[in-house]
Amino acid sequence: MAGEVAEFEIVEGGLQTTVQDYPGRRGMLAQGFFPAGPMDHFAFRCANLLVGNDASAAGLEVTLGNVALRIESPAAIAVCGAPAPATLNGETVEPWQTIWAEAGSELRIGIAPGPGFRIYVAISGGIDVPILGGSRSTYTMGQLGGFEGRALREGDRLPLGETPGGASDALRRLKASELPDYSRDWEIEVLRGPQASPDFLTEDDVEALLSRVWKVDPNSNRTGIRLEPHQFSWARTGGGVAGGHPSNILDNSYPVGAVNVNGDLPVILGPDGPTAGGFICAATVAHAAFWKLGQLRPVGDTVRLREITLEQARELDRVLRRRLNETSLEDIE
Amino acid sequence: MSLSSTDINAAVLAREPAESGKPSATYRVAGDRAVLVEYGEMEFDLALSFFMLAVDDAIRTRKLDGLIETAPGFRSILVSYEPDDLQVDELIAFLSDVRRDLNLSSGVQIPSRLLHLPIAFDDTQTRKAVEQYVQRIRADAPNSEGGNNIDYVVAYNGLPDHEALFNSLLSTEHLNVFMGFFPGLPFLFPRDPRHAVTAPKYNPTRIWTPAGAVGLGGPCWSIYPVESAGGYQLVGRTVPIYDLERRNAAFAASGLLMRAGDRVQFHRVSEPELLELWEDVYADRYRYEIVEGNLDVQEHLDWAAELSDEADQLREARERAATTIPVP
Repeated sequence: MAGEVAEFEIVEGGLQTTVQDYPGRRGMLAQGFFPAGPMDHFAFRCANLLVGNDASAAGLEVTLGNVALRIESPAAIAVCGAPAPATLNGETVEPWQTIWAEAGSELRIGIAPGPGFRIYVAISGGIDVPILGGSRSTYTMGQLGGFEGRALREGDRLPLGETPGGASDALRRLKASELPDYSRDWEIEVLRGPQASPDFLTEDDVEALLSRVWKVDPNSNRTGIRLEPHQFSWARTGGGVAGGHPSNILDNSYPVGAVNVNGDLPVILGPDGPTAGGFICAATVAHAAFWKLGQLRPVGDTVRLREITLEQARELDRVLRRRLNETSLEDIE
Repeated sequence: MSLSSTDINAAVLAREPAESGKPSATYRVAGDRAVLVEYGEMEFDLALSFFMLAVDDAIRTRKLDGLIETAPGFRSILVSYEPDDLQVDELIAFLSDVRRDLNLSSGVQIPSRLLHLPIAFDDTQTRKAVEQYVQRIRADAPNSEGGNNIDYVVAYNGLPDHEALFNSLLSTEHLNVFMGFFPGLPFLFPRDPRHAVTAPKYNPTRIWTPAGAVGLGGPCWSIYPVESAGGYQLVGRTVPIYDLERRNAAFAASGLLMRAGDRVQFHRVSEPELLELWEDVYADRYRYEIVEGNLDVQEHLDWAAELSDEADQLREARERAATTIPVP
């Protein structure tokens, strides 16, 4: 194989299939770049683990499904995330486990019926698109990174990286006890702030934010999960120097996962969202819960925000990390 | 560290009062991977921006294991950290030390290039964005009456006519305090407080804005790097400030024209002239006029202070006018 670059080809691109890596593009926030990266970082990282890739390897994020790809050289692959019918050369593929694909194999993923919305595919060696700002992730809002800065379509040919020592043919799966729970009614852990009560919102407003069952708006995507308009009572009468509405503040940078209240509309900022602006952020999704944003279906799913403390967020981190360890995998037969 | 224990709540980790010429500090929870530190109160005061820039610079000079990156705002810094390597208490203690040790002696200079940018006011593209908004998003938006946002901004600031608004933008340098929202997008604030203007943002936001559009939101001017959604009131259009294809030498380094700390001086051109400049930019014939230099912080603040009485009178007149104008 010396001199040859392993590749795969997109046979069907689906709704929005992008190249992503974890943790995405860090260190460029001050220039206006949000990190991009997989919206469900748990399923993404699990797929890399199952094919023996480095944690930094790039893979595919598939939105909803209807994707097919042809793998030109032998590789280990894994399909994780939203349950969806999948086949390799016509044979059913089980999710959350390693699959061996011979050269010329065709992987087909159908529509995810729900619960869950995004499917992740890792291929041994990782996708070797150019690194931009320390990451291979596609930043859809900036049309940069990934493969030509865009979602993949039929006929695209993507290079694969080298697998040190050759692709492992050990077939393993995530233990059933470690599988994430998917739902149509999600509970997402958040930390209060940076701009909450008593200075911006009233206690009742925060209570409403945390107790309401929010419908996910159909216009949700990687830039943000839009919830429903809500009449907050606000602790201020206006935005002062920042504008007419009490949601307005002097512009500042936003944390990824912030619940940004834009006039009357709360929007949870996704990995491709705006990095800064002049609206309050009433709460911020815990890093270990961020993966759930990637599995929210924009039609019919609901969200409840549950407040946790910084200590509880660390505990969630530990639980997630334990599940992303070799010890969470078991050999298949 | 002299942390005040009052006014601490689930969203605020610590506060420090103003002392010896330094503004107060508020340390806010921004998820479990970042802290938002705000300086002073929510006032439109470039002195807070200079303080923030000095702190940001000092953070980068001193370095701290587990501190990933900083992202400024007008008077705040979002500090991202890796909680495996750095406890939030340690981070706040570090930020508190940086603030305490900051030596704000006179003569502080910040690197600040001066960019001369052309602007065509009330151009076809920004009018198209407003018309599209009226047709598709909101027909009765008070800020879009007459198919433009300029009438509204003029009325909101109590100005006599379009020319008075255009002159306010042309009559002062604007400081790019920080960048964000979108790659390369500058948050520009007037250096001369007499030429400050203000406007509420769109409600709801616009779905299309032409690249290079110049808009006003709150007290801040900005330039849209690419076609995008947006919420600022549009007054005109300038040359490209973002080109990842790097078709012009000005974009060779990063694809972004501007840096934090840069100053912008707009000058007026006609729309046909501007369209020609766009072609020249992409053909690499246009040379952006960029003058290397520094900004002396104390000199700026002394100058602004001399103008403050006049600026306050103008501000009060603006605020009176604004009370009679509906907010979108």
